[in-house]
Amino acid sequence: MRRLIASIRVFISGAWLSYIALFHWTHPASYIASKIVMPIASMLFFLYLGTSATGHDTTQFYIVGNALQIVAISAIYGVTMTVGRERNMGTLIYLIGSPANRLVIFMGRAFFNILDGMLGVVMGFIVGTLLGLDLTAANLPGLALTILISSFSTCGLGLMLGSISLTALNIMFVNNTFFFLLLVFSGANLQLDKMPTWIQYVSKWLPLTRSIQSARLLVNGATLTEVSSLLTSELTIGLAYALAGFTFFRWFEFQARKRGTLEAF
Amino acid sequence: MNIIEVQDLKRIYHAKIGVLRRKVKEVLALDGINFSVSQGELFGLLGPNGAGKTTTIKILTTLLTPTAGRASVMGFDVVRDATKIRPRIGFIFGGERGLYWRLSGYDNLVYFANLYHISPDVQKKRIPELFELVGLGGRENEKVQGYSRGMKQRLHIARVLLHDPQVLFLDEPTMGLDPVGARELRQAIKNLQMEKKTILLTTHYMFEADAMCERIAVINHGKIVALDTPTGLKNYVQDLSIIEIDVFGIPHDAVERIQNLDGVDMVSVENRDQKQALRIHSSNGAGAVAPVVSTLQNMGLRVGNVIVREPTLEDAYVRLVGGEI
Amino acid sequence: MMLSKLRVVWTVFYLYLKQIAIDGFIIFTVIIQPLLVALLAIYMLRDIEGFQAIYVIVGSALTGLWSGTLFFNSFNIQGERWSGCLENIIGSPTRLQTVVLGKVLANLIISVSSMFFSYPIAVLLFKFRLTIAHPFLFSISLVMTIIALMSLGLVIAPIFSLNPGNIMWVNAFEFPMYILGGFLFPILLLPGWTTPISYILSPYWAARALHITSSGSTSLSDVLIYWGLIIFLSLIYLFVSSWLFRVLLWRAKEKATLGLQ
Repeated sequence: MRRLIASIRVFISGAWLSYIALFHWTHPASYIASKIVMPIASMLFFLYLGTSATGHDTTQFYIVGNALQIVAISAIYGVTMTVGRERNMGTLIYLIGSPANRLVIFMGRAFFNILDGMLGVVMGFIVGTLLGLDLTAANLPGLALTILISSFSTCGLGLMLGSISLTALNIMFVNNTFFFLLLVFSGANLQLDKMPTWIQYVSKWLPLTRSIQSARLLVNGATLTEVSSLLTSELTIGLAYALAGFTFFRWFEFQARKRGTLEAF
Repeated sequence: MNIIEVQDLKRIYHAKIGVLRRKVKEVLALDGINFSVSQGELFGLLGPNGAGKTTTIKILTTLLTPTAGRASVMGFDVVRDATKIRPRIGFIFGGERGLYWRLSGYDNLVYFANLYHISPDVQKKRIPELFELVGLGGRENEKVQGYSRGMKQRLHIARVLLHDPQVLFLDEPTMGLDPVGARELRQAIKNLQMEKKTILLTTHYMFEADAMCERIAVINHGKIVALDTPTGLKNYVQDLSIIEIDVFGIPHDAVERIQNLDGVDMVSVENRDQKQALRIHSSNGAGAVAPVVSTLQNMGLRVGNVIVREPTLEDAYVRLVGGEI
Repeated sequence: MMLSKLRVVWTVFYLYLKQIAIDGFIIFTVIIQPLLVALLAIYMLRDIEGFQAIYVIVGSALTGLWSGTLFFNSFNIQGERWSGCLENIIGSPTRLQTVVLGKVLANLIISVSSMFFSYPIAVLLFKFRLTIAHPFLFSISLVMTIIALMSLGLVIAPIFSLNPGNIMWVNAFEFPMYILGGFLFPILLLPGWTTPISYILSPYWAARALHITSSGSTSLSDVLIYWGLIIFLSLIYLFVSSWLFRVLLWRAKEKATLGLQ
């Protein structure tokens, strides 16, 4: 029981402190530019681009897709920076040397980015209503759940990328590539069922795809039952990525201790 | 002729404090300093960290504007005639920065040579010569990121000599170098002086200033507290004896008690690893040793080596900057 | 004197290229991003009537050119400050603008190459036949585009160096230019009040010139107007840039920010 409480304490304080210490966008200007202006501008861009091709009645399609896409900013950039910063500051080595539960620490790093991601999506939906999104028929609780799950799931991918980044790969390169991959393959701007097989195949392996599908259904009034299988799969994918990331993290730690490269952390 | 002239030079920095309600704090870095350097002189600016040495050099190298006062180099005003000064001077702020790490040493020099409008023909001849001169011959095609700290410092010297300037400003040139490297660098600087170059260097190593400079200005809290030859500066302390006592863990009030003893002019404490070196300026000569040692022993402090010696430039400096090191 | 100035620009250009040639961020912004944008845009637009692949290729290359210009020049001067070389440059007889110009050009050459990477995507993946309607006019429009972005780059570089906080705003400018520049859709679709904004942006006219000479029908007089507007706006940008550099240098020397990280 005490171990459990200690773990919870580590989780919460670690998550909160890491948010403060390592959060990528601490300065208001940086937050406004990257988390507000950029996603809105990006949404506008794809909205205009998409409706120029498929007509005004597809406005909803693009707005929902791009609003949900906003979660990727926190999930990818936010999470990987949180993990990567630990290394840059030299604090990772102290974490590893501590008795704290590894999994708890690892997941805790993602926690506030999950919340932050959800905030971004909500903002996206609000802006979307100004651009023509009609939520009168929407299943709002279902939508809220979808937003939570999408944030969690995409952050799972972020955790995996973050732990890979510990191997000194050029992290910005990896971040940017995956962000744009999600943009293309998540179905935010493409009707996946009309796409070639290889695109559909790739999208199935990525988080966010099923969340976007669910959200589109829920905005039109679908029930939770109708989207439950999509959301369950989404959750599973997110967990799988997070666990893959954690496994990699442990393997990396093991290798570093064996080879004496822990200082390279 | 005076190559460098500084008159009533003042420089105030505005530092912003706080995050939400920003207050502006004024920091007086230079408080009206005056000095001049004649042609071919090796002049030293000595002082503790934050005294105003780097600020002075940045003003003289046209990188900073003064708040008040005037300064000129080779007769050109540092503010109005900055463009006339730049081709004639060279400066090093040294250290790890100031070079392009992803380029080779050779490419770095080519780059800076072009900034100083040196023609390719001259570059082809001079750059290899400079590499030999600073002892980096054979390493010019390696990337700078692989250079040791000493090598980087030497590359800076090569860089600053590219355009054969008449005046050199060297800010803490031997900082961070190992003793052998530092000695070689000092010799190189002396050689430059023999070529009739005017050199102004800043340092907080007293023995370095003593060994190299013809005249030294001691600067503290933005003011020049003394300006003289090394010998002249030592005269400040010529009537004093210096007593050095090793102690282990001396508390602050002990220092005050010793300060109040007869014959004790000044006490300073220097931390050296596990112990402290108590340095006492005494007008009583060796006669002050007994009272000091017994005071320390009465406080239950362990006393190590005791030395009585002649004052050095370092002692004069410590006296001039009021015991702060 | 002119010769030595040109030599500085060339040296900076050449040595800067050497430094960044293998940088991951560069490769991403110049190759991967435009590629993915092209892929996405092709799939989004290919069912429109009158779709021309060359339109998407040119448009996505423009996005790559702009992102490159924006991001690389945002740390053009800052990068020198971080490596401690800014003081060495300003204390030299060469003007800062000359050094910055060399790096702007190096960034542009790298960014222009992005056009040649999105090209194979369309050809190989989609088996599109890409034809440029007016190759000669297109080539000149490309040169004009470089001029447009070069002068804009000379404005961007000092702006993001004036205050340490400015660089945090850089992300906010990427997509708005894609929209207002009419890179991948006409600005007719946008609200009317944005039109004057587009008109004062040289990349907008560059995009028009490139599109109309690659996928549209055009007369020489139309294109000449666009080129003229590009030159006109570029001159204004250069004037603004020179003022910005003066302010930047004065402020830096007053506030001692040349050496700060």
